[in-house]
Amino acid sequence: MAAPDLRAELDSLLLQLLGDLEELEGKRAVLNARVEEGWLSLAKARYAMGAKSVGPLQYASHMEPQVCLHTSEAQEGLQKFKVVRAGVHTPEEVGPGEAALRRRKGPAKTPEPQSSEAPQDPLNWFGILVPHSLRQAQASFRDGLQLAADIASLQNRIDWGRNQIRGLQEKLKQLEPGAA
Amino acid sequence: MAGRGKLIAVIGDEDTVTGFLLGGIGELNKNRHPNFLVVEKDTTINEIEDTFRSLGSLLGSVVEAEPNEHDPPLWAEIDSRQFLHRDDIGIILINQYIAEMVRHALDAHQHSIPAVLEIPSKEHPYDAAKDSILRRARGMFTAEDLR
Repeated sequence: MAAPDLRAELDSLLLQLLGDLEELEGKRAVLNARVEEGWLSLAKARYAMGAKSVGPLQYASHMEPQVCLHTSEAQEGLQKFKVVRAGVHTPEEVGPGEAALRRRKGPAKTPEPQSSEAPQDPLNWFGILVPHSLRQAQASFRDGLQLAADIASLQNRIDWGRNQIRGLQEKLKQLEPGAA
Repeated sequence: MAGRGKLIAVIGDEDTVTGFLLGGIGELNKNRHPNFLVVEKDTTINEIEDTFRSLGSLLGSVVEAEPNEHDPPLWAEIDSRQFLHRDDIGIILINQYIAEMVRHALDAHQHSIPAVLEIPSKEHPYDAAKDSILRRARGMFTAEDLR
C-alpha cells in the first residue's frame, strides 16, 4: 500500500477514534447519572423498608439472569455487545391497518412456551409489595446495563482502532524511514 | 451457551451490586458460583484480585499455576469464582476505587472479552484520568507521532 493511501487511512482511523472517545465520554456521563439515580432510589427504598431490608441479606439463594449479552464480531478482533432481556415478548399488534374486525377466538389455546422458564424478577426478593422507589432503582440500573453494553462496545472499538493506528504507523515508518 | 449469551459480572460495594442484581444480571445456583462480589470492609485485596483475575483470561491453565499459600483450603473455591477465567462472562463492572486496588491486574488484561468497565461509587466519583482504557488511549499520541 502506498504511503499516501496509508496516511489517508490513518487520518480516517484517527478521526474515528476521536469520535469514539467523544461518544464514550457522553455515554459515560449518562451511565454515571443513571447509577447515581439508582443509589438514591435504593436509599429511599431503604428508608421506607428499613436499613437492613435492602441488601445482600435479601439475595436469593438461586438466581437466574434476566439479562444476558450477545456478542458479535463486526470486524476481525472487534467485538460488539448487545443486551438481551429474557422473557421479552413483543405485544400482538392490532392496528388500524386491518380492514376487517378482529375475530376473537376466546381464551388463548397455546400459552407461551417460555413462560415457565422466565427467570424470577429480583424485586420479589424484597417482598410482595415493594415501594415505588425500589422499582425506580431497578429501572435506573436496567438503563445502566444497556449503556454499559454500549460503552463496552465503544471501548473495544477504541482499543481496536488504537491497534490499527499503531500498525499503520509502523508500516509508514518502514515505507518512509526518513520522514520518521 | 450459544442461545443463552454471556453474563455481566459485577465487583462493587453493597449498593452497586444490589442495584445491578436488581437489574437482573445475577446468576447463582448449586452448580455455578456467583457472577458478583460484594466488597466490604473486611474483603482483602487478594480476594478481589483472585475473583477478578480469571474473569478475562482465556488461558485456563494460568489459574493452577498460582496457588495461594496463605489460604490453601480456599484455593479451590477462589479458583472457581475467578471471573477472568470464566468464558461465559462478557462484561465486568467494577467500582473504580476497587479497580485502583487491583490496577495492575486490570492493566495486564488486554483481551476484548470480558470488557472491563469502571464505574463510580457513592464515596468516589468517576475519574477519567484513572480509567485504564482512557489512559491507554491518551498514551497513544506522542510529539513524534504527530509530526
